[in-house]
Amino acid sequence: MVKQSFRKGYLLIFFVILSFVSSEIVIQGNDYIATAADAMFVGEPIHFSEFIVPLLVLVVLGTITAYFKSISGKHYSAAVQKEVRTFLGKHLVRLPFSYFDEKGAGNIMTRLISDMEELGRFFSEILPELLVNIITVLTATVYFVKMDPRLIIVLFASYPLMLLVTDFLSKKLAMLAQKLRIHMDERTELANDAINGIVVGRSYNLYPIQKQKIDTVIDNMVAQACKSTRISSLSWVLKNVITTIPVIVCYLFALYEVVNHRITIGELLAFAVLLGRILGPLGDIIFCANDFREIGVSLKRIQEIYRQQPERTDGSDYAPLSCDTDGYAITWDNVTFSYDKEQTRQVLNGVTFSLEAGAHIAFVGGSGEGKSTIFKLLCGFYEKSGGEYKLFGHSFDQWTLQAARSCFSEVSQNVFLFPESIRQNVACGKEHVTEEEIITACKNANIHDFIMQLPEQYDTLVGERGVRLSGGQRQRISIARAFLKNAPILLLDEPTAAIDIESEAKIQEALERITAHKTVITIAHRLSTVQNAQRIYVVSGGKIAESGSHQELLEQHGIYAELYGRELAENV
Amino acid sequence: MFKTFFRFMKLMGKRLPIYLLAILLSTLGQAGGRIANSYLLKHIITAAQAGSMEHVFAPVFGTFAALVCCLLLWRFSIIRYNIEARTATGIVEKLVFSKAMRLPMSYYELNHSSNFMSTLIFDTQKASDIYTSRLRRLLAAILSAIVYLIPMFYFSPELTLCFIGISFLAFVGNSLFAKPMKKAGRQLSDKNALLLEKLTNILTGMELVKIFPVGTKLTSEYEDAGIDYYRTQKHANRLSAGLESLNCFFDLAGALASLGLGVWFVSLGRVSLANLSAIYTLYGTFRYVFLDIGLYLPQMMGCIGNAEKIFAFLDMEEEPEHWLCRDSMNDVADDAMLTMQNICFSYNENNVVLEDFSAEIKKGSFVAVAGESGCGKSTLTKLLLGFYPPKKGCLAIDGKAYADLTLEEVRAQIAYVPQEPYLYETSIAENISYGKCGANREEIIAAAKAANAHDFITRLPNGYDTVLGSRGNTLSGGERQRIAIARAIIRNAPLIILDEATSALDNESETLVQDAIRNLKGKRTILMIAHRPSSIAAADFVIRMGSAN
Repeated sequence: MVKQSFRKGYLLIFFVILSFVSSEIVIQGNDYIATAADAMFVGEPIHFSEFIVPLLVLVVLGTITAYFKSISGKHYSAAVQKEVRTFLGKHLVRLPFSYFDEKGAGNIMTRLISDMEELGRFFSEILPELLVNIITVLTATVYFVKMDPRLIIVLFASYPLMLLVTDFLSKKLAMLAQKLRIHMDERTELANDAINGIVVGRSYNLYPIQKQKIDTVIDNMVAQACKSTRISSLSWVLKNVITTIPVIVCYLFALYEVVNHRITIGELLAFAVLLGRILGPLGDIIFCANDFREIGVSLKRIQEIYRQQPERTDGSDYAPLSCDTDGYAITWDNVTFSYDKEQTRQVLNGVTFSLEAGAHIAFVGGSGEGKSTIFKLLCGFYEKSGGEYKLFGHSFDQWTLQAARSCFSEVSQNVFLFPESIRQNVACGKEHVTEEEIITACKNANIHDFIMQLPEQYDTLVGERGVRLSGGQRQRISIARAFLKNAPILLLDEPTAAIDIESEAKIQEALERITAHKTVITIAHRLSTVQNAQRIYVVSGGKIAESGSHQELLEQHGIYAELYGRELAENV
Repeated sequence: MFKTFFRFMKLMGKRLPIYLLAILLSTLGQAGGRIANSYLLKHIITAAQAGSMEHVFAPVFGTFAALVCCLLLWRFSIIRYNIEARTATGIVEKLVFSKAMRLPMSYYELNHSSNFMSTLIFDTQKASDIYTSRLRRLLAAILSAIVYLIPMFYFSPELTLCFIGISFLAFVGNSLFAKPMKKAGRQLSDKNALLLEKLTNILTGMELVKIFPVGTKLTSEYEDAGIDYYRTQKHANRLSAGLESLNCFFDLAGALASLGLGVWFVSLGRVSLANLSAIYTLYGTFRYVFLDIGLYLPQMMGCIGNAEKIFAFLDMEEEPEHWLCRDSMNDVADDAMLTMQNICFSYNENNVVLEDFSAEIKKGSFVAVAGESGCGKSTLTKLLLGFYPPKKGCLAIDGKAYADLTLEEVRAQIAYVPQEPYLYETSIAENISYGKCGANREEIIAAAKAANAHDFITRLPNGYDTVLGSRGNTLSGGERQRIAIARAIIRNAPLIILDEATSALDNESETLVQDAIRNLKGKRTILMIAHRPSSIAAADFVIRMGSAN
């Protein structure tokens, strides 16, 4: 973030210089007028002609500098926000999958909106203000030293006390700000959850429960904010009292000097004017500590995303088909996996299999036995905990993730649809795709006719989650995507499960087209959909329990045979 | 504009007078503090002129005490003020949320959820700036302006009016910025919604981002939206910079003009030099206060732009309590759980989904609905759940027409298992208990057992208290489905609707779920959107639907 804030640093420097110049111009101009007015009040005639020209010059200069001062400060903040956002956008897509599972979308959203607003305030208000204040204080201090160095000592004597108090209070404020942010995350997550689950929420009349939940969170937010106003107002009062004490001491001291004829009344007045000018900035500098700490919470939260280690980018961009592979597309040797580092819940306990290029294999087994995890590891969404995974003859670790993932297409009825047009949803299978390619892909996926029936055809928007498309239609869209991507390995997730008998034929036809000349891995609950696979692996308890062709497995009279028998009985 | 403002203030309800009083008191406290401060210097100078320090301590400490009192008054009122302001912000957020939960279903299907999220996070944050800072600044400035005006009028009404004229010119100049700034505020809000939409696409589509080459496209879209936002920000910055420079101009030019005016008035003999001097001192401060008003007003306009967006959201039509039915109902058989008479439905003009569809489902029966994908099976469940009203025809549940029941009453009689089992980001136990308000642990466990979910739940490290991740990703599809079924079982509703509910289950769990459903057979009425021979075979009746086209 430091880098982004420096890139347009010249704007900030402009701002500081211009704000200094502009305040000088205003003071100078008002001085002209005040002198003239003073002269008038003691009865002297005013010679407008003497100062009207320089004053008009000051008016013009002041107007111009004020404009550029304001714009450089605000543009600086906006530019930093933009840079940070752009960076985070690129960074987010590079983060490992596990980060999103852990944090949740709501959490990341508040960071990028609400915390970003705070970040903007930091760069547009607090940082420039601090700089201007420091410069004002420094220049005024020079005057003081010239006048009487002892005044400075008196003035700064009370500072340590003020530092202590504000330090203590600002720590408390930061703590409260942190809590407030956590409540805000909760609110965003709850609201996001409620809106995404609206179908369930509505059909189960959950509105009162959800409302009560979010009301509690909002009440907590309010309570937290009220607590911090108690402390911040207290610190404001203390600041005023504490800054007034040295002022009184200074005044009395200066008075003492006047009485003893060491300085004149005129100097006392000049001193008072100067004191008036730096008191505000002096107090504000210390007070920036509060703001710094409070905004620091937001900065940290954004920085936390920054610091997340992105997915690895090392490795080589192998071409999937041209490399020497011994005929194997994938080999796994004793691969283990667990979601947590402590390996408390081992999901895969040593899976071994191999897949020849162009072959068709399947994983079957009950839910929660580890089939989906195998898919996630194959695509590198998660990295295995142990064992060896080779893709087209190279260890997976030697591949770049991007190149490795370009070897896979997934076909599933649970595909994610972007809340955009059907065209855009299909087009995401390939970069720089033409209209014809999209239509050909949809025709091959047997979804073209359906799309043409829709009122806006390819421009039809699908809802946030593609609500109005059935499972079968979504699956065909995912097949169209796979046609465009044209990856050598196809992952079929439960290819015919949610599909009604009537449309099964259409899907079957599309699947036959897409699987031709490809290496295919199917995961399925339904054994009927995998009977034609050359080799079937039965997954149980994170291990391969049995493997073989349909016929061989039946002859083994093991788990597969039992499952098959049951399914057969069901369907009769 | 004023309407929006007053409406926004009205949201405070009874708190409004206290809130305004707190603003008044805090302004007084602040002004008092300033006055006390200036008296401090006055005492010192008097003492310096007298050349002795004898009589300086008492008045100095007296003023200091007054200062502390003013600060305490300020603190007391500013705390009250903040409490009222924050509470009002909370009220707005609650209103936005509860509105978002009560819109017709078509809203959710047609709008990106980020629209609502942006209103909830961004617009409320910006609009409630009115409560938490903008209004106080403006009112404080207006109050002090009035305080200065009274003595000025006393000294010379004519000159004061002329001075006000000068300041008013500045004010008019400033208010020229009000409208563009409000517009910029709304634009920023729109651009922010767009930004959030693109961000949501990245976050929710992460799986696709990893496997398809869409990552670059999505980030560049997000980046473009960011640049768009940046441009709008720059536009707003130029406006406020223009405002600031205008104020700098009026600061100096106004001082010059007022000096000229004063001299002219004195030369005409309309005002004495002493009175001019008094007015002039007061005007010196008044000028700044008036400039502040001109500065704060456009800023507040920006926030009112956000408030308008909130009201546009709050004014959307909600889902009604019940759908009206224009067609009259034919007689309903006593033993009918669900009656559908001549239902016609389409989402839009060109695409008829259901045409003259009639069916009757007897109490305690198990009915399967089969048909080609896209033939309207899922639409039928949406009509039955009251998500949409039929365009023509009537629906009745348990002998009562939908038109005579509230939607809540209709839904209370249905336990629905959707095609995609949505689980909330909370514990498994709570997810199941959503089926029945206040269900205890035994009931939850019994339901989980009936849905064949108990075993896998107890195998999880935290059992029923396992909190599900953002996409419930730690569970497999079948496991999620079984929790959704447990939620339907615990509901104990007379009608259960399963939308292709067993499709994601493996054979083993499906067998057990089918068993559970068979156990309910006879006791409850079951409507199952089905496609598999096994589930159709278990049903008493099969309704086969064809495409309306």
